[in-house]
Amino acid sequence: MSASKYKSYSDPELVSMCLKGDGHAWEALIRRYRRLIFSVPVRFGFEDADAADVFQAVCLKLLEHLHEVKDDRRISAWLVTTTTRQCLHLRVLKTRETTGEDENVEDRQDSSINLEDLRLVTEEQQSIREAVEELGGRCQSLIGLLYFDSTSPTYDEISGQMGIPVSSIGPTRARCLEKLRTILRRRGFS
Amino acid sequence: MRHTTTEALMDYVDGRASEDEKSSIDSHLSICKDCLELKQELQSLAVRLREDASFEPPAELLQWGVNLFQPIIRTETGGLPKYIASLVFDTFDQPMFAGVRRVGAPPRQLLFRAGDVDIDVKIEAMEANDRITLVGQVLSSGTKFFENTPVKLESHGLVRYRTHTNIVGEFSFDEVPKDTYHLSVDLPEGQITLFCVHRGNS
Repeated sequence: MSASKYKSYSDPELVSMCLKGDGHAWEALIRRYRRLIFSVPVRFGFEDADAADVFQAVCLKLLEHLHEVKDDRRISAWLVTTTTRQCLHLRVLKTRETTGEDENVEDRQDSSINLEDLRLVTEEQQSIREAVEELGGRCQSLIGLLYFDSTSPTYDEISGQMGIPVSSIGPTRARCLEKLRTILRRRGFS
Repeated sequence: MRHTTTEALMDYVDGRASEDEKSSIDSHLSICKDCLELKQELQSLAVRLREDASFEPPAELLQWGVNLFQPIIRTETGGLPKYIASLVFDTFDQPMFAGVRRVGAPPRQLLFRAGDVDIDVKIEAMEANDRITLVGQVLSSGTKFFENTPVKLESHGLVRYRTHTNIVGEFSFDEVPKDTYHLSVDLPEGQITLFCVHRGNS
């Protein structure tokens, strides 16, 4: 089965396939939520190594809890909560290491991060990602090259990669963004 | 009044508009609320899209997450069936009691369940030598004890450590290096696999 086929499956479908031992479904699930998971420790301001530790721990927790999340229509909320808890836990451990002070994760009031805002922003960002995925085809490729590509390709390079004239990049981008706005509105994104 | 096109607004937002175009759009935006709102929406969307690129985990980290699943996709070779145990309790998820203070990381206690078999696991990290000790017990819902049952610790697809349960189903792995391990218990009914040890949360 092709990777694109897996992309079209819902979360419960992928989880159900994972529980039957389908590694491709697991890969699709991890790829779908990779940025969501990684964004939380980044927003917490963790260094790369700590952000990687959080990412690994959350992947492992997802695997451990697959039975529990199998009926969730969207597991993004579960992942945001779990990743946030992992970040808070790591922060407490690091505080303990450096100051010797002990703190309770539940009682900790972090003045630098509003957890509710973090949850909203992280979930909204996931909605945008999913809307871009839904665009599919040429629009998804163009948006990817224009906004996600770390090499920031020029219009000439985009033209070469996509096989479209430079002059049509602007109008295509406008049409794709209009389409993206429509998808986001349909998903209740304001 | 002729509205500004999405294409022109995106060139404006992305800084690709010429000075003349920019000046003309600025004039229009000062008198057109609809176009101003559209420009703000497109600007916000572009910011969110660009920001997302910074949340891309390194490729090797992503691959680590993908590979985590490998141990349970081994094909059956006519042997015993394999079961994935589900985690039903984890002290990691429990808040500490108010006022409780500890020195060092507390041991992590987990309880896994597969059918009517429970596997209790405690992981204690030794900060001094960056190792962990893992002790556990295989229990059934009845009075049966799982004596002399093979227990294995696997990492990176290889069995690293083996032991057997004692007369009351207890087992232990002392001072193994911190790593991500999959623990499996070979029961007569089949093999139970757990995902329970990770160097960051042991």
